[in-house]
Amino acid sequence: MPLSAETLRDLHRRMLRIRLFEEEAGRLSEAGRIPGALHLYVGEEAVAAGVAAHLGPGDQVTSTHRGHGHLVAVGGDFRQMFAELFGRATGYCRGKGGSMHIADMDLGMLGANGIVGGGPPIAVGAAFSNKYRKTQNVTACFFGDGASNEGSFHEAANMAGLYRLPLIFVCENNGFGEFTRQDRHQAIRDIADRAAGYGFPGIVVDGMDAVAVYEAAGEAIARARRGEGPTLLECKTYRFFDHVGVRGMGVVYRSDDEVRAWRERDPITLLERRLAELGILDEAGAAAVREAIQAEVREAVAFAEASPFPDPAALTEDVYAS
Amino acid sequence: MPPGPIGVIANPASGKDIRRLVARAPVSADADKVAVLRRFFAGAAAAGARAICYLPGPHRLAEDALEGFAPPLQPVPLPVPFTGSALDTRNAAAACRDRGAAAVVVLGGDGTCRAAAAGWPGLPILPISTGTNNVFPLACEPTAAGAAAGLVAAGRVPIEAAAVRCPVITVEVEGEPPDLALVDAALVDGLFSGARAVWRPGELRAALVLRSDPAVTGLAAVGGMLGLAMPPAAALAFDFGEPGCAVRVPLAPGLIAPVDVRSYRPVPFGEAVEWRGPGILALDGERERRLLPGQRTRLVPSAAGPLLIEPRRALSCAARTGCFIEPLSGAPYAD
Repeated sequence: MPLSAETLRDLHRRMLRIRLFEEEAGRLSEAGRIPGALHLYVGEEAVAAGVAAHLGPGDQVTSTHRGHGHLVAVGGDFRQMFAELFGRATGYCRGKGGSMHIADMDLGMLGANGIVGGGPPIAVGAAFSNKYRKTQNVTACFFGDGASNEGSFHEAANMAGLYRLPLIFVCENNGFGEFTRQDRHQAIRDIADRAAGYGFPGIVVDGMDAVAVYEAAGEAIARARRGEGPTLLECKTYRFFDHVGVRGMGVVYRSDDEVRAWRERDPITLLERRLAELGILDEAGAAAVREAIQAEVREAVAFAEASPFPDPAALTEDVYAS
Repeated sequence: MPPGPIGVIANPASGKDIRRLVARAPVSADADKVAVLRRFFAGAAAAGARAICYLPGPHRLAEDALEGFAPPLQPVPLPVPFTGSALDTRNAAAACRDRGAAAVVVLGGDGTCRAAAAGWPGLPILPISTGTNNVFPLACEPTAAGAAAGLVAAGRVPIEAAAVRCPVITVEVEGEPPDLALVDAALVDGLFSGARAVWRPGELRAALVLRSDPAVTGLAAVGGMLGLAMPPAAALAFDFGEPGCAVRVPLAPGLIAPVDVRSYRPVPFGEAVEWRGPGILALDGERERRLLPGQRTRLVPSAAGPLLIEPRRALSCAARTGCFIEPLSGAPYAD
């Protein structure tokens, strides 16, 4: 069926929410107002949005160290997100987790993860639970090209294939494992090729094209819900900011020309241009969406900065299971 | 002097799209493509080819496959920047033409062959199927394909004896650069190219096809399943929808779906078919261009397509001239 205007506007809004959240987080980080390292998702928004648009109540997501976008895409609350980044008690992890542990169990977002390749085993557990409990729920496991070299990914893929789990492995291949170009850390270019070794399909999709991701993710998720097992969806994408923060640590590993070339395929600009062409969202409409989200960001930052730090007496609370 | 080098265009993206999910198309991994190329190079080297020009890229398909073949095969990287899009195939074909390639081997499906022909209209192409819908590419052993290309490249078999001229559909889109199709062009409902493949029969509005074959996948099977033979020097135009008849067609590997055919008619070469947007123009099985409301596209079939090198034809020609025979010393070969 052709995409509805409502679906297209929803994709646009999800992407723009990620972009504006991340841009503000980047500004605050560079200004020294947010402690710790932030790995920002700017440039990769089409992937999270295209996948999350198919997820609903009871579905799960496992994430990466670049995890804000995944939580925003499934409906994360800006107030709790910014509060967590600021280390405040009102944050998602009561201010003790920070960027790389941000999570919302109510939304099925099982957590960002500071360990490269930490997500896939958790996703297998969640997907196994879905299957065991005979729900129709699926788990979306986001990971990067670097994580696809980790044993944890291969073990998870093996089990997912063996048990035909309702799981989609979403590889955000942005061409770099941290600062290392893909051709210097693995012998293959298409990570989708690895799926065959575990007995399920792997496909490649343009990760800068929200509609292409939406279509492919929709088919993969429908397949999982039908009990036909996992899929590896490799999305070719790019991060516009550095590995850490916006300008990063001054490590030279990619050229300005390369970044510029990818920015010309900015997924939000591409979609906005097309929506305007089709008369679905004109310039004024897009500006109104942007302004509403910016207001949400401003309010959330103010809320976070006004929130208290965690009480030192609560240091060990929520750290260990009891 | 041999006529020229062999051009190699191996599409890393072929055989990896959404049709692995919506149909039952097989995956064509990079390692498979390298293996195909290695067999191709073995045949080409044995038949006398001496130079291979290729598009360098991060997938290193040609580079890896050439390991161990130089000499006798001299690698000649083409000065074409890699973009990771269909533009690479188009640009590589044009660069092959500029290098004077005698033959171009293309690894991919119908879409890849179309992109190559768009870069070099009329190119001497030897297409090997590693794609999804493989109507235009040949299902052949790459060793034999390599030998055929090698014979042409070495000047041992003239291209006229090795190849046949294929038809083509020239596509003009109002206000935009022209395009072409080698198997079929279709107008489908929708707003986006998205995941590109065509697999939902309900979205089909019209098609113009150059093949009618019940034993292939894609729109070329529609006429075939209706029992239609291709009229000479003509294409077939279809209008889809009701009223009419539903014909069950393998739209993609492992996907058989009912297609509602309202009408069909032959379109002689040189005559135009015109469609209007809104919609998406799909060429050789892939959604390529969007048409705005009212935007016109004009499609003209003709006989002026690529030169298709047929391995059996080239090898038979060479065999008739004793090309593969070397007399053993001291003994007569035959009476």
